[in-house]
Amino acid sequence: MRSRVLPPLLLGAGMIGAWEAYVRIARIDILLLPPPSAVALYLIGNVGIFVRNGLATLSELLVGFACGVLIGLALGVLMQLVRGFRDAAYPWLVATQMVPIPAVAPILVLWFGFTLVPKAVTVALMCFFPVAVSTVDGLGAVNPELIRLMRSFGASPWAIMRMASFPSAMPRIFSGLRVAMALSVVGAVVGEWVGSTRGLGYLMLQFENRGETAGLFATVTVLTAMGIVLFFLVGWVEGAVIPWRRYAKETL
Amino acid sequence: MSVRGVSRSYRDGSRSVLAVEGTHLDIPEGKFVTIVGPSACGKSTLLNLFCGLDQPDSGSIETPSQGTGALLGRIGYMPQQDLLMPWRDVAGNAAVGLECLGVGRQEARSRALGHMRRFGLEGFEGSFPGQLSGGMRQRVAMLRTFLCGRRINMLDEPFGKLDALTRASMQAWLLDYWQEYRCTILFVTHDIDEALFLSDVVHLMSPRPGRIVLSLEVDLPRPRKYSEVVTSAPFNALKARLLEQLGRQP
Ligand SMILES: Nc1ncnc2c1ncn2[C@@H]1O[C@H](COP(=O)(O)OP(=O)(O)O)[C@@H](O)[C@H]1O
Ligand SMILES: [Mg+2]
Repeated sequence: MRSRVLPPLLLGAGMIGAWEAYVRIARIDILLLPPPSAVALYLIGNVGIFVRNGLATLSELLVGFACGVLIGLALGVLMQLVRGFRDAAYPWLVATQMVPIPAVAPILVLWFGFTLVPKAVTVALMCFFPVAVSTVDGLGAVNPELIRLMRSFGASPWAIMRMASFPSAMPRIFSGLRVAMALSVVGAVVGEWVGSTRGLGYLMLQFENRGETAGLFATVTVLTAMGIVLFFLVGWVEGAVIPWRRYAKETL
Repeated sequence: MSVRGVSRSYRDGSRSVLAVEGTHLDIPEGKFVTIVGPSACGKSTLLNLFCGLDQPDSGSIETPSQGTGALLGRIGYMPQQDLLMPWRDVAGNAAVGLECLGVGRQEARSRALGHMRRFGLEGFEGSFPGQLSGGMRQRVAMLRTFLCGRRINMLDEPFGKLDALTRASMQAWLLDYWQEYRCTILFVTHDIDEALFLSDVVHLMSPRPGRIVLSLEVDLPRPRKYSEVVTSAPFNALKARLLEQLGRQP
């Protein structure tokens, strides 16, 4: 534990220290680059605002992430079970990722108004793709000999999917989930930039317009912290769901 | 089970490679039958055909209960790799075959648990495959197949990767188990001693294209004891005939 937590903390402290020293020694304008101490003071002084808007972003993000993951899993399983669907749908799924999200987001606001929905849809649009791809790849990577064995036992395609393909795809699916989680932070903020009345993305726009650079940095800090916690939360869930990973010398 | 003139070839790029050719074989009920042959002679190919995972190009395979009907799901099959699922513990892995047959998860598990002692897995029910020795992994894989309760069980080089001492004790254990439950066993190996020690009948396969070139009745008395059997004169006479036939191959 110590060896995993200490080095990044030390590195972070070093960089923050250097930043603080640079701003003070070179006498940089606080509007251009506030020192970390000013950002921290701003954060502490306005905790209420950050909590309120942070929770708004968090709920958009979690709703969108949950929908995106469910859609991604369903698409992945369907593509693996039905060859024809996979061939027909794959290029279109790739196409959805080529559409710039900032271009789509205003249309979503037009459709759904200044509610949670357009942000959740933005998040879901961004994070279903890595989940779908990692699910298809993971399900396809199951040892074909294991499938033959189960067919010799008389197993149905669905039983093979449930008992063999899906569990063996778990590690890959979780890689996809981690990518999706990282993307969904970006997705929520982009969704808020286009049209919102609260959230960390909204807050960033406000601070930018008012020239409160320290507030802007404080918002980014909160957003980053939230993203990191969520990202490692996925890893923690993975450890809880796949306890056998510790014992698996080989991957099947 | 009776096998008549079965052939199977595979495409290898543009060429077609004959893996097994015109194989005739009878597997009498309740007998321990072994196919022995050098690697890549088509032993696994034959087993795949016999358990319905693959279809022959020509020839027929008949079982007393099914006629020439579908074999898939009716023959106990233990592949060359143990194929244990790293995400299931020992009892869960042993239950896989039953679950595939439609037995509920809990029920399958408790039936698997009832055989742990007989298969030397007592105390390891909750262990994961990554924590087991090679011999124990093979026993889990074998239990998984035997639990399905098939009249015919086909084992593909089950002891091939074990060290000599473990293999000897597993052979003795398997004979014991077979004499207790009296199912039909079709055993595949590349080890002549193993084939003779275990079997009622040994079929020798030639190198590619695989075909059965010699069939021997092994009328050594049972129960057999490894140290006595492998040093006895009848055993060595049979072994000499197999080796001589092998040496005759081009
Ligand atoms: N699915 C396959 N496709 C192409 N060639 C195969 C296939 N299965 C087996 N063969 C070939 O058939 C021959 C017999 O293989 P196999 O039955 O696995 O031999 P054994 O089990 O006796 O070692 C080998 O030369 C192998 O390369
Ligand atoms: Mg083989």
